Amino acid sequence: MDHKEAIEKMTAERYLLDELAAEEREAFEEHLFDCPECALDLRAGAAFVDEAKVQLPELTATQPASAPARDAKPRPKPSHWLSWWRPVFAVPVFATMLLVIGYQNLVTYPGLRAEANQPRLLPMVSLHGATRGGNHIAVTADHKHGVALPLSLSQLSGTVPYASYSLDLVDPQGKIVWTGTVAAPPVGDGMVQPFSLAIPGAMLQNGAYSLTVTGVGQDGARSAVDKYDFDIRVTE
Amino acid sequence: MQFQSFDAGYIESLCAGDHRTQDHFVGYFTALLQLKLRSRLQSPHAIEDVRQETFARVFAVLRKDGGLRQPERLGAFVNAVCNHVLFEHYRSSKGSESLDAEGRPELPAKGADVLDIVAARQMKHKVREILLELPERDRLLLKAVFLDERDRDEVCEEFGVERDYLRVLLHRAKQEFKTEYVKRIGTEASSGASSRRA
Repeated sequence: MDHKEAIEKMTAERYLLDELAAEEREAFEEHLFDCPECALDLRAGAAFVDEAKVQLPELTATQPASAPARDAKPRPKPSHWLSWWRPVFAVPVFATMLLVIGYQNLVTYPGLRAEANQPRLLPMVSLHGATRGGNHIAVTADHKHGVALPLSLSQLSGTVPYASYSLDLVDPQGKIVWTGTVAAPPVGDGMVQPFSLAIPGAMLQNGAYSLTVTGVGQDGARSAVDKYDFDIRVTE
Repeated sequence: MQFQSFDAGYIESLCAGDHRTQDHFVGYFTALLQLKLRSRLQSPHAIEDVRQETFARVFAVLRKDGGLRQPERLGAFVNAVCNHVLFEHYRSSKGSESLDAEGRPELPAKGADVLDIVAARQMKHKVREILLELPERDRLLLKAVFLDERDRDEVCEEFGVERDYLRVLLHRAKQEFKTEYVKRIGTEASSGASSRRA
Protein backbone atom coordinates (compact mmCIF):
# COMPACT_ATOMS: atom_id res chain seq x y z
CA MET A 1 0.00 0.00 0.00
CA ASP A 2 1.39 3.43 -0.87
CA HIS A 3 0.63 6.76 0.73
CA LYS A 4 -1.75 7.93 -1.99
CA GLU A 5 -3.81 4.77 -1.73
CA ALA A 6 -3.91 5.03 2.06
CA ILE A 7 -5.27 8.57 1.88
CA GLU A 8 -7.73 7.95 -0.94
CA LYS A 9 -9.24 4.94 0.76
CA MET A 10 -9.46 6.70 4.16
CA THR A 11 -7.52 3.77 5.51
CA ALA A 12 -6.68 5.42 8.84
CA GLU A 13 -10.37 5.96 9.55
CA ARG A 14 -11.20 2.43 8.49
CA TYR A 15 -8.39 1.14 10.70
CA LEU A 16 -9.83 2.97 13.69
CA LEU A 17 -13.30 1.67 12.87
CA ASP A 18 -11.89 -1.84 12.61
CA GLU A 19 -13.17 -2.19 9.07
CA LEU A 20 -10.02 -3.51 7.44
CA ALA A 21 -9.60 -7.12 6.43
CA ALA A 22 -6.52 -8.82 7.87
CA GLU A 23 -4.42 -8.45 4.71
CA GLU A 24 -5.31 -4.81 4.24
CA ARG A 25 -4.63 -4.09 7.89
CA GLU A 26 -1.17 -5.64 7.65
CA ALA A 27 -0.43 -3.76 4.44
CA PHE A 28 -1.47 -0.49 6.09
CA GLU A 29 0.62 -1.19 9.18
CA GLU A 30 3.66 -1.93 7.01
CA HIS A 31 3.14 1.42 5.31
CA LEU A 32 2.39 3.16 8.58
CA PHE A 33 5.70 2.31 10.19
CA ASP A 34 7.53 3.84 7.24
CA CYS A 35 5.29 6.87 6.68
CA PRO A 36 5.47 9.58 9.32
CA GLU A 37 2.46 11.41 7.87
CA CYS A 38 0.15 8.41 8.09
CA ALA A 39 1.59 7.57 11.49
CA LEU A 40 0.71 11.04 12.76
CA ASP A 41 -2.72 10.81 11.17
CA LEU A 42 -3.50 7.53 12.87
CA ARG A 43 -2.11 8.62 16.21
CA ALA A 44 -4.23 11.77 16.14
CA GLY A 45 -7.30 9.77 15.21
CA ALA A 46 -6.67 7.25 17.96
CA ALA A 47 -6.08 9.99 20.52
CA PHE A 48 -9.33 11.66 19.53
CA VAL A 49 -11.28 8.41 19.79
CA ASP A 50 -9.73 7.55 23.16
CA GLU A 51 -10.64 10.92 24.63
CA ALA A 52 -14.07 10.95 22.98
CA LYS A 53 -14.85 7.65 24.69
CA VAL A 54 -14.16 9.36 28.03
CA GLN A 55 -16.34 12.40 27.31
CA LEU A 56 -19.23 10.99 25.31
CA PRO A 57 -21.09 9.44 28.25
CA GLU A 58 -21.44 12.85 29.85
CA LEU A 59 -22.28 14.64 26.60
CA THR A 60 -24.97 12.14 25.66
CA ALA A 61 -26.34 11.59 29.15
CA THR A 62 -29.59 13.52 28.53
CA GLN A 63 -30.30 11.67 25.32
CA PRO A 64 -31.49 8.06 24.85
CA ALA A 65 -28.78 5.56 23.97
CA SER A 66 -30.35 4.72 20.62
CA ALA A 67 -30.93 6.76 17.54
CA PRO A 68 -33.48 9.55 17.57
CA ALA A 69 -36.97 8.30 16.58
CA ARG A 70 -37.36 7.71 12.88
CA ASP A 71 -40.29 10.15 12.79
CA ALA A 72 -38.09 12.89 14.19
CA LYS A 73 -35.39 12.19 11.65
CA PRO A 74 -35.20 15.24 9.47
CA ARG A 75 -36.37 14.41 5.99
CA PRO A 76 -33.85 15.20 3.36
CA LYS A 77 -34.65 18.50 1.79
CA PRO A 78 -35.66 17.84 -1.79
CA SER A 79 -33.81 19.70 -4.43
CA HIS A 80 -35.54 22.66 -6.03
CA TRP A 81 -35.84 20.88 -9.39
CA LEU A 82 -37.32 17.70 -7.94
CA SER A 83 -39.81 19.61 -5.77
CA TRP A 84 -41.88 20.28 -8.89
CA TRP A 85 -42.55 16.54 -9.17
CA ARG A 86 -44.32 16.38 -5.84
CA PRO A 87 -47.98 15.32 -6.08
CA VAL A 88 -49.25 18.73 -5.00
CA PHE A 89 -47.81 20.17 -8.20
CA ALA A 90 -47.67 17.18 -10.51
CA VAL A 91 -51.31 16.09 -10.20
CA PRO A 92 -52.92 19.40 -11.30
CA VAL A 93 -50.39 19.74 -14.12
CA PHE A 94 -51.05 16.27 -15.46
CA ALA A 95 -54.80 16.74 -15.08
CA THR A 96 -54.63 19.92 -17.15
CA MET A 97 -52.55 18.16 -19.78
CA LEU A 98 -55.13 15.39 -20.03
CA LEU A 99 -57.93 17.93 -20.45
CA VAL A 100 -56.08 19.70 -23.25
CA ILE A 101 -55.20 16.47 -25.03
CA GLY A 102 -58.76 15.21 -24.67
CA TYR A 103 -60.27 18.43 -26.03
CA GLN A 104 -57.91 18.42 -28.99
CA ASN A 105 -58.64 14.81 -29.86
CA LEU A 106 -62.37 14.98 -29.30
CA VAL A 107 -63.25 18.44 -30.52
CA THR A 108 -60.53 20.31 -32.36
CA TYR A 109 -59.10 17.65 -34.64
CA PRO A 110 -62.44 16.17 -35.70
CA GLY A 111 -63.64 19.66 -36.48
CA LEU A 112 -60.64 20.38 -38.61
CA ARG A 113 -60.93 17.05 -40.41
CA ALA A 114 -64.61 17.65 -41.09
CA GLU A 115 -63.88 21.07 -42.47
CA ALA A 116 -61.07 19.74 -44.62
CA ASN A 117 -63.28 17.01 -46.03
CA GLN A 118 -66.09 19.36 -47.00
CA PRO A 119 -66.34 21.04 -50.41
CA ARG A 120 -65.45 24.71 -50.25
CA LEU A 121 -66.27 27.72 -52.32
CA LEU A 122 -63.26 29.82 -53.12
CA PRO A 123 -63.18 33.12 -54.93
CA MET A 124 -61.28 32.71 -58.15
CA VAL A 125 -59.33 35.41 -59.92
CA SER A 126 -57.73 34.92 -63.30
CA LEU A 127 -54.17 36.15 -63.54
CA HIS A 128 -52.64 37.52 -66.72
CA GLY A 129 -49.10 36.38 -66.94
CA ALA A 130 -46.47 38.96 -67.54
CA THR A 131 -42.80 38.37 -67.55
CA ARG A 132 -41.99 41.98 -67.93
CA GLY A 133 -44.16 43.73 -65.36
CA GLY A 134 -47.50 45.06 -66.48
CA ASN A 135 -50.48 46.29 -64.52
CA HIS A 136 -51.14 44.46 -61.31
CA ILE A 137 -54.34 42.53 -61.00
CA ALA A 138 -56.28 43.42 -57.83
CA VAL A 139 -57.54 40.40 -55.91
CA THR A 140 -60.01 40.72 -53.07
CA ALA A 141 -60.04 37.92 -50.51
CA ASP A 142 -60.78 37.30 -46.86
CA HIS A 143 -59.00 35.42 -44.10
CA LYS A 144 -61.75 32.82 -43.85
CA HIS A 145 -61.78 31.60 -47.43
CA GLY A 146 -58.46 32.61 -48.95
CA VAL A 147 -58.26 32.79 -52.72
CA ALA A 148 -57.74 30.46 -55.69
CA LEU A 149 -55.63 31.60 -58.65
CA PRO A 150 -56.12 29.61 -61.86
CA LEU A 151 -53.07 29.04 -64.00
CA SER A 152 -52.50 27.37 -67.31
CA LEU A 153 -49.17 25.97 -68.27
CA SER A 154 -48.39 24.60 -71.69
CA GLN A 155 -45.41 23.63 -73.77
CA LEU A 156 -45.52 24.74 -77.34
CA SER A 157 -44.04 22.64 -80.08
CA GLY A 158 -40.54 23.61 -81.02
CA THR A 159 -39.70 24.81 -77.55
CA VAL A 160 -37.29 23.14 -75.16
CA PRO A 161 -39.36 20.63 -73.21
CA TYR A 162 -39.40 20.96 -69.44
CA ALA A 163 -39.69 18.06 -67.06
CA SER A 164 -41.48 20.14 -64.47
CA TYR A 165 -42.34 23.63 -63.37
CA SER A 166 -41.31 25.25 -60.13
CA LEU A 167 -43.53 27.96 -58.70
CA ASP A 168 -42.54 30.55 -56.09
CA LEU A 169 -45.01 32.77 -54.29
CA VAL A 170 -43.46 36.02 -53.00
CA ASP A 171 -45.24 38.12 -50.37
CA PRO A 172 -45.37 41.95 -50.12
CA GLN A 173 -42.13 41.86 -48.08
CA GLY A 174 -40.31 40.14 -50.94
CA LYS A 175 -40.04 36.87 -49.05
CA ILE A 176 -40.74 33.55 -50.76
CA VAL A 177 -43.57 32.18 -48.62
CA TRP A 178 -44.31 29.12 -50.71
CA THR A 179 -42.62 26.93 -53.35
CA GLY A 180 -44.29 24.16 -55.32
CA THR A 181 -43.46 21.84 -58.19
CA VAL A 182 -45.78 20.47 -60.83
CA ALA A 183 -45.10 18.05 -63.68
CA ALA A 184 -44.92 19.70 -67.07
CA PRO A 185 -47.69 18.87 -69.59
CA PRO A 186 -46.81 16.93 -72.73
CA VAL A 187 -45.29 18.91 -75.54
CA GLY A 188 -47.69 19.91 -78.23
CA ASP A 189 -49.83 22.77 -79.37
CA GLY A 190 -53.04 22.93 -77.46
CA MET A 191 -51.65 20.71 -74.71
CA VAL A 192 -52.55 22.73 -71.65
CA GLN A 193 -52.07 21.94 -68.00
CA PRO A 194 -54.64 23.99 -66.07
CA PHE A 195 -54.53 24.12 -62.30
CA SER A 196 -55.27 26.60 -59.57
CA LEU A 197 -53.16 27.80 -56.72
CA ALA A 198 -55.24 28.00 -53.54
CA ILE A 199 -53.79 30.44 -51.02
CA PRO A 200 -55.20 29.97 -47.48
CA GLY A 201 -56.75 33.03 -45.87
CA ALA A 202 -54.36 32.89 -42.93
CA MET A 203 -51.41 33.59 -45.26
CA LEU A 204 -52.95 36.62 -46.92
CA GLN A 205 -52.00 40.18 -46.15
CA ASN A 206 -52.59 43.45 -47.96
CA GLY A 207 -49.96 44.20 -50.57
CA ALA A 208 -48.30 43.16 -53.81
CA TYR A 209 -47.62 39.50 -54.44
CA SER A 210 -45.91 37.79 -57.33
CA LEU A 211 -45.93 34.24 -58.58
CA THR A 212 -42.96 33.21 -60.69
CA VAL A 213 -42.96 30.13 -62.85
CA THR A 214 -39.64 28.47 -63.65
CA GLY A 215 -39.22 25.61 -66.10
CA VAL A 216 -36.94 22.77 -64.99
CA GLY A 217 -35.33 20.71 -67.74
CA GLN A 218 -34.48 17.04 -67.72
CA ASP A 219 -30.93 17.97 -66.82
CA GLY A 220 -32.10 20.21 -63.96
CA ALA A 221 -31.44 23.41 -65.84
CA ARG A 222 -33.81 26.18 -64.81
CA SER A 223 -35.21 29.03 -66.91
CA ALA A 224 -37.82 31.67 -66.25
CA VAL A 225 -41.13 30.96 -67.89
CA ASP A 226 -43.72 33.38 -66.55
CA LYS A 227 -44.48 35.83 -63.78
CA TYR A 228 -47.78 36.93 -62.33
CA ASP A 229 -48.01 40.13 -60.29
CA PHE A 230 -51.17 40.82 -58.32
CA ASP A 231 -52.34 42.88 -55.37
CA ILE A 232 -54.22 41.32 -52.53
CA ARG A 233 -56.83 43.26 -50.65
CA VAL A 234 -57.96 41.46 -47.53
CA THR A 235 -61.48 41.89 -46.30
CA GLU A 236 -62.76 40.51 -42.99
CA MET B 1 5.31 20.28 10.40
CA GLN B 2 8.66 18.59 10.28
CA PHE B 3 8.71 14.85 10.06
CA GLN B 4 11.45 12.60 11.25
CA SER B 5 13.22 10.60 8.57
CA PHE B 6 15.38 7.64 9.43
CA ASP B 7 18.82 7.39 7.97
CA ALA B 8 22.26 6.09 8.77
CA GLY B 9 22.98 9.07 11.00
CA TYR B 10 19.87 8.45 13.04
CA ILE B 11 20.77 4.81 13.55
CA GLU B 12 24.31 5.72 14.46
CA SER B 13 23.05 8.15 17.12
CA LEU B 14 20.62 5.55 18.37
CA CYS B 15 23.28 2.90 18.72
CA ALA B 16 25.67 5.35 20.29
CA GLY B 17 23.19 5.95 23.09
CA ASP B 18 22.20 9.51 22.21
CA HIS B 19 19.38 10.24 24.65
CA ARG B 20 17.35 12.49 22.40
CA THR B 21 17.46 9.98 19.58
CA GLN B 22 16.61 7.11 21.91
CA ASP B 23 13.70 9.05 23.45
CA HIS B 24 12.43 9.85 20.01
CA PHE B 25 12.74 6.25 18.85
CA VAL B 26 10.97 4.84 21.90
CA GLY B 27 8.26 7.48 21.93
CA TYR B 28 7.54 7.28 18.21
CA PHE B 29 7.45 3.51 17.87
CA THR B 30 5.78 2.87 21.23
CA ALA B 31 2.76 4.83 20.00
CA LEU B 32 2.61 2.86 16.75
CA LEU B 33 3.18 -0.50 18.40
CA GLN B 34 0.45 0.16 20.94
CA LEU B 35 -2.00 1.01 18.17
CA LYS B 36 -1.01 -2.15 16.33
CA LEU B 37 -1.05 -4.43 19.35
CA ARG B 38 -4.19 -3.26 21.15
CA SER B 39 -6.35 -4.68 18.36
CA ARG B 40 -4.59 -8.03 18.73
CA LEU B 41 -3.88 -8.41 22.43
CA GLN B 42 -6.29 -7.80 25.25
CA SER B 43 -3.86 -7.55 28.12
CA PRO B 44 -1.77 -4.41 28.72
CA HIS B 45 0.93 -6.70 30.10
CA ALA B 46 1.00 -8.72 26.91
CA ILE B 47 1.20 -5.54 24.85
CA GLU B 48 4.08 -4.31 26.96
CA ASP B 49 5.86 -7.69 26.72
CA VAL B 50 5.67 -7.70 22.95
CA ARG B 51 6.73 -4.06 22.73
CA GLN B 52 9.79 -4.56 24.91
CA GLU B 53 10.80 -7.74 23.11
CA THR B 54 10.43 -5.96 19.77
CA PHE B 55 12.70 -3.11 20.85
CA ALA B 56 15.25 -5.51 22.28
CA ARG B 57 15.50 -7.43 19.03
CA VAL B 58 15.63 -4.28 16.92
CA PHE B 59 18.49 -2.86 18.98
CA ALA B 60 20.30 -6.19 18.80
CA VAL B 61 20.26 -6.06 15.01
CA LEU B 62 21.09 -2.36 14.77
CA ARG B 63 24.21 -2.78 16.93
CA LYS B 64 25.64 -5.39 14.60
CA ASP B 65 27.91 -4.20 11.81
CA GLY B 66 25.80 -3.81 8.72
CA GLY B 67 22.81 -4.95 10.72
CA LEU B 68 20.21 -2.88 8.87
CA ARG B 69 21.13 -2.50 5.22
CA GLN B 70 18.46 0.08 4.49
CA PRO B 71 18.36 2.63 7.34
CA GLU B 72 15.48 4.48 5.70
CA ARG B 73 13.38 1.34 6.17
CA LEU B 74 13.81 1.32 9.94
CA GLY B 75 10.05 1.67 10.43
CA ALA B 76 9.23 -1.34 8.27
CA PHE B 77 11.93 -3.30 10.11
CA VAL B 78 10.40 -2.53 13.50
CA ASN B 79 6.99 -3.60 12.19
CA ALA B 80 8.39 -6.86 10.80
CA VAL B 81 10.16 -7.69 14.08
CA CYS B 82 6.94 -6.97 15.97
CA ASN B 83 5.07 -9.38 13.71
CA HIS B 84 7.57 -12.13 14.50
CA VAL B 85 7.40 -11.49 18.23
CA LEU B 86 3.62 -11.46 18.07
CA PHE B 87 3.56 -14.77 16.24
CA GLU B 88 5.82 -16.32 18.86
CA HIS B 89 3.65 -14.84 21.59
CA TYR B 90 0.55 -16.44 20.10
CA ARG B 91 2.28 -19.80 19.92
CA SER B 92 3.63 -19.61 23.43
CA SER B 93 0.37 -18.49 24.99
CA LYS B 94 -1.61 -21.08 22.97
CA GLY B 95 -4.25 -18.58 21.92
CA SER B 96 -4.86 -15.11 20.67
CA GLU B 97 -4.96 -13.59 24.10
CA SER B 98 -2.26 -13.30 26.63
CA LEU B 99 -3.36 -14.05 30.16
CA ASP B 100 -2.22 -11.79 32.93
CA ALA B 101 0.18 -13.65 35.18
CA GLU B 102 -0.85 -13.29 38.77
CA GLY B 103 1.62 -11.72 41.02
CA ARG B 104 3.37 -9.98 38.22
CA PRO B 105 4.30 -6.48 39.24
CA GLU B 106 2.35 -3.70 37.63
CA LEU B 107 4.26 -1.54 35.21
CA PRO B 108 5.40 1.60 36.91
CA ALA B 109 3.40 4.61 35.84
CA LYS B 110 5.37 7.02 33.77
CA GLY B 111 5.66 10.33 35.49
CA ALA B 112 4.08 13.23 33.69
CA ASP B 113 5.67 16.62 33.83
CA VAL B 114 3.80 19.92 33.93
CA LEU B 115 3.95 20.37 30.19
CA ASP B 116 2.44 16.94 29.64
CA ILE B 117 -0.40 17.75 32.02
CA VAL B 118 -1.12 21.08 30.34
CA ALA B 119 -0.98 19.51 26.89
CA ALA B 120 -3.30 16.70 27.94
CA ARG B 121 -5.76 19.22 29.37
CA GLN B 122 -5.70 21.22 26.14
CA MET B 123 -6.37 18.11 24.12
CA LYS B 124 -9.30 17.16 26.35
CA HIS B 125 -10.72 20.62 25.87
CA LYS B 126 -10.29 20.40 22.10
CA VAL B 127 -12.02 17.01 21.92
CA ARG B 128 -14.90 18.34 23.99
CA GLU B 129 -15.18 21.38 21.72
CA ILE B 130 -15.29 19.19 18.62
CA LEU B 131 -17.90 16.87 20.11
CA LEU B 132 -20.12 19.76 21.21
CA GLU B 133 -20.06 21.21 17.71
CA LEU B 134 -21.45 17.98 16.30
CA PRO B 135 -25.20 17.42 15.98
CA GLU B 136 -26.63 15.30 18.78
CA ARG B 137 -27.22 12.48 16.34
CA ASP B 138 -23.53 12.33 15.44
CA ARG B 139 -22.52 12.22 19.10
CA LEU B 140 -24.87 9.33 19.66
CA LEU B 141 -23.50 7.65 16.56
CA LEU B 142 -19.91 7.91 17.80
CA LYS B 143 -20.93 6.65 21.21
CA ALA B 144 -22.72 3.66 19.73
CA VAL B 145 -19.68 2.75 17.62
CA PHE B 146 -16.74 3.46 19.91
CA LEU B 147 -18.12 3.27 23.43
CA ASP B 148 -20.93 0.76 23.16
CA GLU B 149 -18.92 -1.14 20.52
CA ARG B 150 -22.05 -2.12 18.66
CA ASP B 151 -22.05 -3.72 15.23
CA ARG B 152 -21.27 -1.03 12.62
CA ASP B 153 -23.90 -2.15 10.11
CA GLU B 154 -26.56 -2.32 12.76
CA VAL B 155 -25.70 1.15 14.02
CA CYS B 156 -25.67 2.63 10.51
CA GLU B 157 -29.05 1.14 9.74
CA GLU B 158 -30.50 2.41 12.99
CA PHE B 159 -29.21 5.93 12.41
CA GLY B 160 -30.09 5.87 8.72
CA VAL B 161 -26.56 6.54 7.50
CA GLU B 162 -24.11 4.85 5.18
CA ARG B 163 -20.78 3.44 6.39
CA ASP B 164 -19.07 6.20 4.48
CA TYR B 165 -20.88 8.79 6.58
CA LEU B 166 -19.26 7.33 9.65
CA ARG B 167 -15.79 7.44 8.07
CA VAL B 168 -16.23 11.04 6.95
CA LEU B 169 -17.51 12.03 10.39
CA LEU B 170 -14.44 10.52 12.00
CA HIS B 171 -12.15 12.01 9.36
CA ARG B 172 -13.43 15.55 9.91
CA ALA B 173 -13.23 15.27 13.68
CA LYS B 174 -9.72 13.86 13.44
CA GLN B 175 -8.56 16.62 11.09
CA GLU B 176 -9.86 19.28 13.44
CA PHE B 177 -8.24 17.61 16.41
CA LYS B 178 -4.93 17.07 14.65
CA THR B 179 -3.89 20.72 14.86
CA GLU B 180 -4.00 20.53 18.65
CA TYR B 181 -2.41 17.11 18.66
CA VAL B 182 0.48 18.24 16.49
CA LYS B 183 1.28 20.99 19.00
CA ARG B 184 1.63 18.36 21.67
CA ILE B 185 3.95 16.09 19.76
CA GLY B 186 5.75 18.81 17.83
CA THR B 187 8.95 18.38 19.80
CA GLU B 188 9.03 14.68 18.98
CA ALA B 189 9.23 15.40 15.29
CA SER B 190 12.03 17.90 15.54
CA SER B 191 14.50 15.66 17.37
CA GLY B 192 16.87 13.21 15.76
CA ALA B 193 19.70 13.49 13.27
CA SER B 194 17.69 14.79 10.37
CA SER B 195 14.24 15.90 9.54
CA ARG B 196 12.24 16.80 6.48
CA ARG B 197 9.50 19.34 6.15
CA ALA B 198 6.05 18.02 5.28
